[in-house]
Amino acid sequence: MRRMAPVLAGHRGRLAGALSLALVAMLIQVAMPAVIRQAVDRSLVARVSPLWPYVAGLLALGGARAGLTYLYRNGLFKLAWGIDTDLRVLLFDRVSSLDWTYFDRVASGQLISRANSDIRSVQLYLAFAPLVLMTVLQFVVAVAYMLTIDVGLTVVAVATLPAVYWFGVRLRDQTFPLSWISQSRQAEVAGVVDENIAGVRVVRSFAAEQQQVTEMARAATRLRWANIRTADSRSRLNPLIENLPRLSMAGVVGYGGWLVIQGRVTEGTLFAFTAYVTQLQVPFRTLGLFLMLGTRARASAQRIYEVLDEQPRVADRPGAVDLIDAVGRLSFEGVTFRYGGADGDRGAVLEDFTLEVPAGQTVALVGRTGSGKSTVGRLLGRFYDVEAGAVRIDGHDVRDLTQVSLRAHVAFAFDDPFLFSVPIRDNIAYSRPDADLAAVREAARDAQADGFIDALPQGYDTAVGERGYTLSGGQRQRVALARVLLANPPVLVLDDATSAIDAEVEALIHDALRRRLHRRTTVLVAHRLSTITLADRVVLLEGGRVVADGTHAELLAREPRYAAVLATVDDAEDPAGDVTNDPADQPVAG
Amino acid sequence: MFGGPGFFGAPRGGGGLPFGGIPEELAERATAILATEPDHPTPDVPYSPIAEDARPFTLARFVAPLRLALVGTGAIVVLETVALQAGPWLTQVGIDRGISRRDTGVLVAVTLAYVASVLVSMVAGGVRVAVTGRLGERLTYDLRVRVFSHLQRLGLDFYTGERQGRVLTRMTSDIDNLTVLFQDGLVNLTVQGLTLVVVGGILLALNPLLAGIVLLAIVPLMVAVTLWFRSASDTAYNRVRDRIADVLSDLSENLAGMRVVMAANRRRHNLVAHTNLVGEHREANLEAARIGAVYGPVSETIGVLGQAVLLGVGGWLVLHDRLTVGELFAFLLYLTSFFAPIQQLVQLYTTYQSGRSSVVKLGELLATPPSVPEAPGAAELAPIEGHIRFDDVTFAYDTGRPVLEHVDLEVRPGEVLAVVGPTGAGKSTIAKLITRFYDPQHGSVSIDGVDLRTVTLRSLRSQLGVVPQEAFLFSGTLRDNVAFGRPDAPEDEVTDAVAAVGLDGLVARLPLGLDTEVHERGVSLSAGERQLLALARAFLARPRVLVLDEATSNLDLASEQQVEGALDRVLEGRTAVIIAHRLATARRADRIAVIDHGRLVELGSHTELVATGGRYAAMYAAWIRNATS
Repeated sequence: MRRMAPVLAGHRGRLAGALSLALVAMLIQVAMPAVIRQAVDRSLVARVSPLWPYVAGLLALGGARAGLTYLYRNGLFKLAWGIDTDLRVLLFDRVSSLDWTYFDRVASGQLISRANSDIRSVQLYLAFAPLVLMTVLQFVVAVAYMLTIDVGLTVVAVATLPAVYWFGVRLRDQTFPLSWISQSRQAEVAGVVDENIAGVRVVRSFAAEQQQVTEMARAATRLRWANIRTADSRSRLNPLIENLPRLSMAGVVGYGGWLVIQGRVTEGTLFAFTAYVTQLQVPFRTLGLFLMLGTRARASAQRIYEVLDEQPRVADRPGAVDLIDAVGRLSFEGVTFRYGGADGDRGAVLEDFTLEVPAGQTVALVGRTGSGKSTVGRLLGRFYDVEAGAVRIDGHDVRDLTQVSLRAHVAFAFDDPFLFSVPIRDNIAYSRPDADLAAVREAARDAQADGFIDALPQGYDTAVGERGYTLSGGQRQRVALARVLLANPPVLVLDDATSAIDAEVEALIHDALRRRLHRRTTVLVAHRLSTITLADRVVLLEGGRVVADGTHAELLAREPRYAAVLATVDDAEDPAGDVTNDPADQPVAG
Repeated sequence: MFGGPGFFGAPRGGGGLPFGGIPEELAERATAILATEPDHPTPDVPYSPIAEDARPFTLARFVAPLRLALVGTGAIVVLETVALQAGPWLTQVGIDRGISRRDTGVLVAVTLAYVASVLVSMVAGGVRVAVTGRLGERLTYDLRVRVFSHLQRLGLDFYTGERQGRVLTRMTSDIDNLTVLFQDGLVNLTVQGLTLVVVGGILLALNPLLAGIVLLAIVPLMVAVTLWFRSASDTAYNRVRDRIADVLSDLSENLAGMRVVMAANRRRHNLVAHTNLVGEHREANLEAARIGAVYGPVSETIGVLGQAVLLGVGGWLVLHDRLTVGELFAFLLYLTSFFAPIQQLVQLYTTYQSGRSSVVKLGELLATPPSVPEAPGAAELAPIEGHIRFDDVTFAYDTGRPVLEHVDLEVRPGEVLAVVGPTGAGKSTIAKLITRFYDPQHGSVSIDGVDLRTVTLRSLRSQLGVVPQEAFLFSGTLRDNVAFGRPDAPEDEVTDAVAAVGLDGLVARLPLGLDTEVHERGVSLSAGERQLLALARAFLARPRVLVLDEATSNLDLASEQQVEGALDRVLEGRTAVIIAHRLATARRADRIAVIDHGRLVELGSHTELVATGGRYAAMYAAWIRNATS
């Protein structure tokens, strides 16, 4: 939590201002019952002074308090949301500077939900904990004032308040874990429904409806138990918390009344004390809550710092230079690489991998799953750093180059392309946001995406849905290819980027590629024969090494392992996912 | 990273699913609480394919079963409210009759009565919370089971596309809304409404003039301000929700697409965009906060205004001996009692609205008729031989163009029939009609001469085994999944089924064997293994007829061979219909039916069809060419 100090420091002035205003507002709150007390005693009982100054005073205090309260609350809210903003931006900045290894390790869904709730809990605590301290201060002032009037009556008035605090803590001790239990059981119920929907075909096929209903009843019973437990806890403790201060009120009426009869205090005092009992429960009710929130905020802050402290494993070296006007000569020199780092327990994906690709060549990397062919492309973009050896572009070790300039020279298209939920046009122009529509259209035409995009309701302005899943697999691949064509870099990595596209359309795309990317270096990771035949040269990988190198025809003739790998590449199926418009063959989940 | 998943769970039976994310400081207490949970007996909730209660679902019918209990609760609420509001009145009596007249006896009596009222409201309040909690949970439980049971009656056509998400909402937030409407709504309405009535009555009895000022000036002001606040803050918080959703979806999209973001050098650009979204989120929050920062002080000031008016007018009345000091006290104390009920009643309106719309939505769901209803008095299908007939079957999804047109097809008992054809030709529909996931619009589908529409769904489906394209695994153990169709199957049959499909090797390698949990829809198994498991599931159910709906089309070559091998054992002596995407699968069938554009165009054995030189022969030739090129 101490490390949050720099975040808070930026808001120091605002915090101090808001807190001073809050303090004044709270002192006014203490003063108001005192005014009524004086009014009752001096104007109504003793009748020694006129009533109107007290009424006017009360209104003035009320107005002043209202103004101050508005100001300090606004101030604290600004502070709170300022901190929230700072943390969110910091987190985004940090996370987006991390490398692929981080995203290989961390589930992004967890990151998001935790980041959100952690930031919220820190924000809440930092902004409102000081306010609770102010109410404690208010309590001290009020009690001091009460003590000057009558010690015994003060004791009666505040005696039950510690119990209010204590029962409040007990209630939270019980209901907070219970609410987690309830939530998890709510999730269980949702889980049963979810599975029932997703597996509806299986349920119907096996006539398992009764079983499912029983399953639901079981989950619902468990949820009901947790909810009733919560209601029971509340039913025991809530009435105590609500009613204990009223016991103090009864005490004030009884003991205070007796004191009045004795002539030791006045009637007005009775009113002031009952008003204080009501006012003063507030800190006792909230103090425990904020102590707990404090514990939680500390844990949250720690988790946030775990992310902020994360160091990218791939970073620009001091003195890294910009790659300028590269022609795209690639070389891999004795590259060894394993996922999870050199000290990881996983086997090497590439081992002593050596390959030279002259500028302008199209080379296809072929191999079984796990042979390391996709990794080659990733190392080229320096999404990971090699363990041994070097990856060079135009003779420069990629580690000596700035990442930005390197990636401006290499464009990637992956087999499961990621589309952002923005208009198609912006998806195509993703690496060149300033490109005009004509350029976007041209790229789309060459990627054979023009036709279906024009058929969309808003053409190029159609926002593709969440992660672009409203498009078929083949359509998404074509958008991703258009993206690469628009970027038009000297080096191109197509990682199985046409796997869901019809062979004929693929050929058209490659015609365009050849035309547009004339003298561009292209690395194809290929599974399909139709893709492989487009390359000038084929490199066969096995166990992270090059085992054969040549043209498709040469390898087919002299390398039995090449033929074996090709045999597993069954081209007979029609491309999955490109054309399924008929519900007849759309798989209902199950 | 974030302290690990923090898995936390109690033993099965008394405990539950592990829940990640519970703060460590709460985990220990949660465990202690869970230890007190009794073993719930297996619920006995009979499922019937025909709804028992066909009447429309309304709010009145929802709470009707609890009529008597509600009357009792009402009595408790009255007691609690009266006890709660007795305090200021007792104070007035104490001041006017005890203090002013220096009568210690009255003062003592009043004090004791005050203490007694506190005890009564304490007990009554406790009982109320406990009782309404239980009643609410009972209603919710019944409704949950009822809605879920109805979901089981609905046909597959109900579960398409975006409807799936809505179904989950019905079962979760809509039902929760009703619970809230009952517990917070109905009960609070009574409590708060009663409070207003009781306090108003006492004030009028004490002093009509002063009561008139409070009721006609202060209360309406408070109501007006609170109404403004509710609508303004609802709007503002809706905006906040939209903005935070923007922030989170942008974050999530960036994380999911981080590889593209890096490759496209978009980090700076996206950081700026994200900063803007976060800024908008902050602005929306500040707007909402401002509304709260106005409402709080303004409502407090109305309270002060009320006090000042009471002090001024009441004081003037006291000075003219038309009001006692005790009565003025009572007014000042009651003033605050008005505010909470007003705030809560206004809040209730929102609760009522969302509860109301949930009632309507749930009512619509419960009124949805099943698309494949069980005929009243449907007969049990006797053990079948497996003679399937399609008689002039025409079928269309919804009102689209027919997917099958005038199809006549016969599958003989013990025969393996493969159905092939281009994507969209209607192959899968054949499988869905045999299992009666849909009913044909025209013609009939029968097994052993019995029209499927005349028999109970259970007796039909329990004799069929279906293996779909995507094997769906339920959470639970491997055993639970294999024995899904027959949860009571003896252990040796489960192991036999696992062995029959060749999964015994995998199971043997797992430390927990069949007790291994299948996580998150079975992602820890490969597609091939999952498909084998689905096959084992069908095998264990011992169906007479097996329907494979593109069961191998999502598999790679190696997995496909594995599944094909298992098929030989599973198909033995059974009638089978195999919807095939790949000809390798079709070739092995006794006969092959070629479907194109909704019609049966060819039917015969592989050799016959190849010899005929028709559609199948062409498809086969193309396949052979591709496989060997």
